[in-house]
Amino acid sequence: METQHRQGVLSGLRAGWPGRADRGHQEAGWAHGWRLWGPCLALLALCAGFGVAEPGFLTWANLRVIADSSAVPMILAVGLTFVVLQGSLDLSIEGVMALCSLTIAMLVLNSRTSLDLGASALVLAVLPGLCMGMLNGVVLTRLAVPSFMVTLGAWSVALGLAMLLSGGQPPIMKDEALRAFGQGRTASVPNLAIVAAAVVALGHVLQHHTRFGRYSMAIGGGEHLARQSGLPVDRYKVLAFALCGLLAGLAGTLESTRIGLGHVDIGAGQLLSTITAVVVGGTSLAGGRGGVLQSAVGALLLNVLANGMVFIGVVPEAQLVVEGGIVLAASLLASWQLRGRMREVR
Amino acid sequence: MVASRARTREPSGGRPAWASAVVVLAGAVLSFHAGVAAAICQPSEIRLVNSMREIAQPYHADLDKGGRMFAKWAGLEKQYVLQLNQGDSDKQLTLMRALQSTAAKCTVFNVEPNADVVVRPMVETANRSGMWIVTHWAHPPGFRPFDGNDQWIAHVAVNSLDAGVAISRRLVDAIGGKGAIVALQGRLDTDPAQKRFAGLLQVLKDKPGVQLLDRQTANWDRTAAFPIMRTWLAKYGNRISAVWAANDDMALGAIEALRAAGLAGKVPVVGVDGIPEAIEAIDKGEMTATVSSDAYYQGSIGLAMGVCVLSGKIPLPKAWPDEQRDFYLRLREITKDTVKQYKGEPAVSAYAEEWDCANLWKRSTGKAY
Repeated sequence: METQHRQGVLSGLRAGWPGRADRGHQEAGWAHGWRLWGPCLALLALCAGFGVAEPGFLTWANLRVIADSSAVPMILAVGLTFVVLQGSLDLSIEGVMALCSLTIAMLVLNSRTSLDLGASALVLAVLPGLCMGMLNGVVLTRLAVPSFMVTLGAWSVALGLAMLLSGGQPPIMKDEALRAFGQGRTASVPNLAIVAAAVVALGHVLQHHTRFGRYSMAIGGGEHLARQSGLPVDRYKVLAFALCGLLAGLAGTLESTRIGLGHVDIGAGQLLSTITAVVVGGTSLAGGRGGVLQSAVGALLLNVLANGMVFIGVVPEAQLVVEGGIVLAASLLASWQLRGRMREVR
Repeated sequence: MVASRARTREPSGGRPAWASAVVVLAGAVLSFHAGVAAAICQPSEIRLVNSMREIAQPYHADLDKGGRMFAKWAGLEKQYVLQLNQGDSDKQLTLMRALQSTAAKCTVFNVEPNADVVVRPMVETANRSGMWIVTHWAHPPGFRPFDGNDQWIAHVAVNSLDAGVAISRRLVDAIGGKGAIVALQGRLDTDPAQKRFAGLLQVLKDKPGVQLLDRQTANWDRTAAFPIMRTWLAKYGNRISAVWAANDDMALGAIEALRAAGLAGKVPVVGVDGIPEAIEAIDKGEMTATVSSDAYYQGSIGLAMGVCVLSGKIPLPKAWPDEQRDFYLRLREITKDTVKQYKGEPAVSAYAEEWDCANLWKRSTGKAY
């Protein structure tokens, strides 16, 4: 009986795409396709719209700017996706970014400390992020505190640590090689965009070709069932938070190499925009539905929007209104096929 | 005029007849008649509080350093308290109220208001409890120290319009009065953001040769300014001859974007605040000008006023002329020519004279109401 149960949960997930098996009977093929392609269509429509309004928008120079500014949000979105897929939430992103930003800035040649670790600092600097993420996961699973509260606390802790490190004198990074990496390009593609693309590809592989990805989907789809089937749910939850922390740390360090400073506010506003990116992409906050690629498209969509509004010269006073409207429209597009179904919306 | 207002206020000022209030009133009467009040507190009773947002940013760190410098100079180092509200106005008020039950009448608050609106409840708390308060930047319109708020020692206002005008002039001069500029605004709902930008528009009105290509808000934030500047560079290319920013943090974000395009140091950039990095950028020639309200001064002057009042060296604030209780602070323009003197941490001697009870208004440029 037990074996059969396990078979039942996993055989559906092995198919790869979310929901194909476990919700396939509810969802017609075209509707499923729509969920995947809706956000992509919205993205293309947005690009076309901006391109028509201002031909300069679709030039290589501007696409490069978009790729560059989407890099950090995309990396954040990939990390958060697994947590959200499992039905949890990680609010500590901004704090972790700040902590890792200060860490990298103080490990390389800088204005505050006498350290000069060079590129190896990139590896060390994401460790605080990994630790915060693991801590989130462990407190959540072992002490059974809801992820919302754990990560809210972790946000403050990480931000506080960053402030202590900063001490009113943000360290200025003087490592020229690292700065050149953060601002530079390889074969005319911004370096950070290449890193982001690699992270998205890695996330995609993790989601569809590893146990971690498939089990995450199962946990989000029905944690109770997953536990009863004997999945080591807690272990995969800790892993998801660790990955999210690690990638938030990476985002913080990369952003630092770009602006050349360890900055407490480096992640300001990123939490809400990352959650927005994940949801606009079509990943459900209730868990069990969505994916890495969708979130990446969501992040791209938000950045195209921000860039495009500056490009066509929407006055700043009106930008929030336009942004909100388009995000709303994109979310509608992403969930259009679900209207009227017997679906709980919270 | 002052005397009559002080007198007519006396009966209503008596509210619940708290001992502290009586002491204050008695002191006020005494000061009015004798010119100088008796000491309200012994030095050992005085508590100095700096209330501000946080200390992670250079501006706020310098506010705190200024406060500590003064406390040490006045021999009150151990009685210095720092309150941080992390951008939460309610918390700023709660932290203040937490101190009202002990030695209220000997407590001086030097406040960087988290928002203009928090000034009113903080002043009302001071009025009720007998604590003393000095506020900075801006207060809600129509709510002024000399309208019966006897515990509100003074408001040290910063004229953001002047700051905007000053940097805009420098920017226009740097491009020879001809060219196209872009402007990075602060949070649009804040008073300094609006007034600094109004300062730019005021300068541009007389300079038909300078075109405002575009304006955007980057919410005072360096990381937000960076992508906006990148986008502008993609859109306008080398048509941009200068960058105006409502604060230094955004100016520095723009400089990083210019650096990525190989334009740092070639396109003039101005900001406001005078943070150490901006001063360094001016020294390096990557930035043209900034203006500073001088955080060290703002972090200390309120405490100095409070100590002068509490020690009886000057009359109680209610007897002061109105323009001493709500005045504008003189701003310092920092450019390539003057940058040397602002590098590094200032010495106590640079401020000691202005902390003297006889020179408390040395930096006033006149009434701010």
